[in-house]
Amino acid sequence: MNRDAAVAGENGRDDRIVFDDVSKFYGEVLGVNRVRLSLPPGITGLVGPNGSGKTTLMNLMVGLLRPSRGTVRVLGMPTDRPEALFRRVGYATQYDAFPPGLTGYQLIESLLRVHGHDPRQAAAWTWQALERVGMVEAAGRKVAAYSKGMRQRVKLAQAIAHHPSVLVLDEPLNGLDPMARAELIALLRELAAAGLYVVVSSHILHEVDLISDQVVMLNGGYVVAEGDIVEVRDEMDEQHPAQVLIRCDRPELLAARAFEQDHVVEARMLADRSGLLLRTRDAASFYRMLNQVVIDQGLTVESVAPADADVEAVYQYLIDAPSGNGGNS
Amino acid sequence: MSGPAPSGAAATTLSLPPAAPAAPAPPARGLPWALWRRQLAAVVRLELRKSFLGRRALGLYLLALAPPVVLVLRALLPRAVSDPGNLGEATELMAGLYQGFILRVVIFLGCVAIFGNLIRREVLDRSLHFYFLTPMRRELLVLAKYLTGLVVSLALFGASTFASFFLAYLPHDGRLRSAFLLHGPGPGHLGAYLLVTALACAGYGAAFLTLGFFFRSPAIPALALFGWEAIHFLLPPVLKQLSVIHYLQALCPVPLSEGPFALLSDAPSRWVSICGLLALAAVLLTISTLRIRRMEVIYLDD
Repeated sequence: MNRDAAVAGENGRDDRIVFDDVSKFYGEVLGVNRVRLSLPPGITGLVGPNGSGKTTLMNLMVGLLRPSRGTVRVLGMPTDRPEALFRRVGYATQYDAFPPGLTGYQLIESLLRVHGHDPRQAAAWTWQALERVGMVEAAGRKVAAYSKGMRQRVKLAQAIAHHPSVLVLDEPLNGLDPMARAELIALLRELAAAGLYVVVSSHILHEVDLISDQVVMLNGGYVVAEGDIVEVRDEMDEQHPAQVLIRCDRPELLAARAFEQDHVVEARMLADRSGLLLRTRDAASFYRMLNQVVIDQGLTVESVAPADADVEAVYQYLIDAPSGNGGNS
Repeated sequence: MSGPAPSGAAATTLSLPPAAPAAPAPPARGLPWALWRRQLAAVVRLELRKSFLGRRALGLYLLALAPPVVLVLRALLPRAVSDPGNLGEATELMAGLYQGFILRVVIFLGCVAIFGNLIRREVLDRSLHFYFLTPMRRELLVLAKYLTGLVVSLALFGASTFASFFLAYLPHDGRLRSAFLLHGPGPGHLGAYLLVTALACAGYGAAFLTLGFFFRSPAIPALALFGWEAIHFLLPPVLKQLSVIHYLQALCPVPLSEGPFALLSDAPSRWVSICGLLALAAVLLTISTLRIRRMEVIYLDD
């Protein structure tokens, strides 16, 4: 069964987030086009450059936008019924704006009251959410006085405060310091391990690479790749050979051994004959072969380094591919 | 801030809490009135806190204070009242001040500022989505916002009308004043002014709340409506019926001359005026609820 048919068949499932042939146009401007996705539990990373359609896709997922065509269902629920949807969905938007005059505590507690919780419950869950994001000490300060990182945390607290099953986070790592990023990533993993659907966007592939169980790559409003992150990596390995720069004492020997391998696409001697620039579809096999040459032939290796920026280069490859709008894993 | 802080208040690391109880869900059968009531109260509480206790409300307070301040200044002026024994002078002054300034300017502009910004301001502040991300019917959000506007406008302009009424009679003879205000037509006049104030807030409020959904700035439609209301005395009888002020003036306790160029028409009855204004507010609120149900969150610079 092809992927489109599979997505169409999953449209009624209540254990997936399903986009069935979804398009969104802002007048003449394309937001996203012909999106067919079926997102399972775990962490799904949405990645793409600015303007690629990540936020549009997320806003469609939570009903802040209505599709121009197609349907979106979250765990079987239509997205135009907020009274049902937001009992199970939490969303931290990328908008860095808050209702004026409120403290972090007041913001979250007030919104929990709007959910319909009684004051005691709302207060308890507010403290719980603030504690989870490490914002208890700053709870009494006005949100307007928070740093960017603190505002990101309070947005996350607002999204998780009502204990949703689906957590949608638009660029959640923006503005966080390295320690906070590590803590947030750990929290997201913990939530995913507890069975939550966590959808995270980023324009930095490396971030998504660190977090996600599966990825959806977007460019120009189209899904250019999606699937299990290992599958996507395999596809990348297959279609986009990795480049490795090796500086050693006998590059011609290494080149000869390299060309015996099926996965090596190209090997070029450096101009000063101090090493090789090598392209391979299977970097892991190449490194095993290199170790073998060192052991068997006594090759002296001065340095080994990836010559491209790893996932970033692959990402560039995917979004630049001429058939990018149809590509998938 | 309220509510007890957890014992681990100094926590700085992210951690997963114990499993939480389920969120409140509507009953399986019937309408969830209790849930709706809680949500309505929560929005009104939040709106009052964030919108009307801050610096933005300063202009509204000044607007509401303007009529009493004018009357206080009049009371302080020597010989501002030609005959302190003539309460008719104060009654006419109050009628003129109320219909010419409080109703047409203070309440009108106040309602533009309060109701016109209930939705529009949230879009400009990019904070409307916080409400849209809660499990609350959007129709209920409109109703809650409208109720908030009513609470604020009635509190401000009701108090302004109340104070103005008493201040208008302040420079007059104390014995006559007490007789008028306690045993004469005073309480009836005051009740009528307060009723008109309430209906004006309800009618203009619903109009500006609805216009906030259709216009980026409430100033343009407000100016058009202001012009229409201002020239209503020049309009033929059929068109007069399309102005809010026509019905409000009919409820005022003291009729005023509208000048030599006014086109005369029969004033609507008290009940037609009251029911008509309430029906207008209901229709406009219905339009707003239909509008918000299909509203998308696309902020202006997205």
